[in-house]
Amino acid sequence: MNPSPPKRVAIVGAGMVSPLGFGFTETLHSLRVARDCVTPVNTFDVEKTRCKTAAQMDDSRLLPGKIRQRRDRRLHRTSHMVINALDELLQQAKDFQPEIAVVGTTSGGMTFGESFYRSLGQGGPCAAAWIANYPPQKQIADALERFAINAPAQVIANACASGSNAIGLAFNAIRGGRYRRILAGGYDAISEMVFVGFDSLQASTPEKCQPFDAHRSGMVLGEGAALFALEDFDTAKSRGAQIIGEVAGYGISTDNHHLTQPNPDGSGPSRAMKQALVTASVTPERVGYINAHGTATIFNDAAEGKAIAEIFGGAAAAAVAGRGGVPVSSSKSMMGHSLGAAGAIEAVVSLLALQHSFLPPNINFREIDPMLDLNIVANESRSAGFDYALSNSFGFGGTNAAILLRKFTE
Amino acid sequence: MTVAGMGWVTPLGNDIESVWRHMLAREIAPIEILSNEQTGARYLTHRVPAEATASLPPHPRLRRASAISRFAAAAGLMALKDLEIDPDRLALVFAISNGGVIYTRRFYSEIVKAGAQSASPLLFPETVFNAPASHLAAILGIPGASYTVVGDGAVGILALKLAEDLLASSDIDACLVVGAEEIDPLVCEAYRQWRLLRDPRQPEIRRGMILGEGAGAVLLRNSGGDLEIDKIDPGSNFFRRAEASGKLSDIVSHLRDSIGFCIGSANGTFIDQAERNAVSSKIPLYSPKVALGDSVGASVLWQLITAAQALCSGQLPGNRVRAGRALVLACGLNQQLGGLTLRQSPHSI
Repeated sequence: MNPSPPKRVAIVGAGMVSPLGFGFTETLHSLRVARDCVTPVNTFDVEKTRCKTAAQMDDSRLLPGKIRQRRDRRLHRTSHMVINALDELLQQAKDFQPEIAVVGTTSGGMTFGESFYRSLGQGGPCAAAWIANYPPQKQIADALERFAINAPAQVIANACASGSNAIGLAFNAIRGGRYRRILAGGYDAISEMVFVGFDSLQASTPEKCQPFDAHRSGMVLGEGAALFALEDFDTAKSRGAQIIGEVAGYGISTDNHHLTQPNPDGSGPSRAMKQALVTASVTPERVGYINAHGTATIFNDAAEGKAIAEIFGGAAAAAVAGRGGVPVSSSKSMMGHSLGAAGAIEAVVSLLALQHSFLPPNINFREIDPMLDLNIVANESRSAGFDYALSNSFGFGGTNAAILLRKFTE
Repeated sequence: MTVAGMGWVTPLGNDIESVWRHMLAREIAPIEILSNEQTGARYLTHRVPAEATASLPPHPRLRRASAISRFAAAAGLMALKDLEIDPDRLALVFAISNGGVIYTRRFYSEIVKAGAQSASPLLFPETVFNAPASHLAAILGIPGASYTVVGDGAVGILALKLAEDLLASSDIDACLVVGAEEIDPLVCEAYRQWRLLRDPRQPEIRRGMILGEGAGAVLLRNSGGDLEIDKIDPGSNFFRRAEASGKLSDIVSHLRDSIGFCIGSANGTFIDQAERNAVSSKIPLYSPKVALGDSVGASVLWQLITAAQALCSGQLPGNRVRAGRALVLACGLNQQLGGLTLRQSPHSI
């Protein structure tokens, strides 16, 4: 039991790299102009897959300049993503020394594992660096080492909810008074195995990614990394840290319906979202924006849309009452699904929306699925001031997570 | 945080008391030589006998599940045996390192051999790190928190730390922590190329590790058991092998009060010397990896159960150890390390 009242959790810094851009400024611009980051895959053979596109990071920007030492050249590109994100975070929170890092990923340095396997089959030499740098905990360890941060790393692998789970765990740990400072976030890079895996399930699409659209046909993959510096609010205030937002609530649920499909009744996402609201003592009416999981698969969007309408009220009823329903968009329409990084990246998107009073768009949108009753932020960003944003992430294994962010005002 | 239940599936058997007797008698699990069709290499391994999971209750989730999920289910159900736990108030924390590598290799090998169009949609979901946890959560009907923590041989410490954090809230009454691993030639080859495996031509030379497989599970509560995990130190990363000893020494310094013995993670690699340097020579040091092999993701759970057995019986293989508190020390092969102390609850002494 918590002996003392729950503590507020401040965001004192964040960093992000994704196909939307390197850092906050580029990301904000991409969100405002509704940039479509999805391009043809060119790093492995996609001749025999249905889907042939993904949102990919530009290696010419990701790698040069960072490769200063021989040791660095061996690192996986995911490590460079995490190093870039941590670099930006530490520019915002210069003296941030976390007690622990809690991060999410699904596949770490998977492409090194693929190289290892292929080289065995060809009888060629195997690079020891592939083995040492492949494991999912290695990429955060590389970033911690780069910036001389002496902290353990707890790596959460809850499929596509990993990043949100990591932030949520960090939130709960600070809220409960068990830690004062935690580095939290997520990372993942595109790999052939995962790309082909989603293709084999026919979860990915040969078309555009169209979350919540009547014509949606599946997801596209993305990649990137995002990190948050979370700190006990009072400690941050007392040391004069710049607070850029707050994590106010977190919910998790496990949907035992199926290994890869959500329960169509939306009960799993619903439970997670309700728990996030309850921990923050916030009513649904106060939430001004939902960054949906929104993969654009038939099943995810149906279950998530149903749960959102149940909790927040449908858009149709809201229109009758002279209001709009809560605005909903999926960043995956622009930058694909970055799996273990998605929750952390989309939390940064939600934070930017709160900070800059706008609604990020849901691009490639033509018409709402008639089975859904949602107020979609269609195709263009919109100005809107609000105090709370909810970010959803759901994943294989039936894991569901929701994070509630609060705008910080002095 | 108290230990309310324990279970394991090991190459020496499933029954905790019986495996413990084998360990006290200094028996070593049978060695099976595994061959790699791709490379022709051979590896010494400790495998779990097929009958170990034969008595699992039928469940749709286990029909196609890989060995790792079956090991985890068997150990988890054993830890919960005879305990009435409301699934709504139970969390699951899963420790893993290599994960469902058998299906992962099969899935990717089909892509490499025959192209992407041959990839199996049945195998892919089982390659995801949290698939075993998802199966176990479904079997137990857990609707709330389920977390999979991935790391190296010390990942179990981080999983137990997470369980401690979850139990500190009022959201749950109990937390089931499970560690599991399965053996596949691909993983063996990776460790061999890393020069960490024992030479199959010279098994008598105890240099290099032998991989083991199986699962370990403990049910944790805030109170009510005879054994308590009283301190957990999640350590930090070491970036060079030479740093491991110093970092382990820091953990030992933090946790050393009234320690009677240490259950370590020595596995025939650099870890042996790093741990020996960190732990005073006056403190008996035993690694269950000698008898069971290195099960990586499951190993800390096996160490914890070994420590519990030693505390309760007052014995270690080759030693009498009258002690109220034990140190469990874990050093992984990929930069992670940590430790915890286990003691008999004051009311049970």
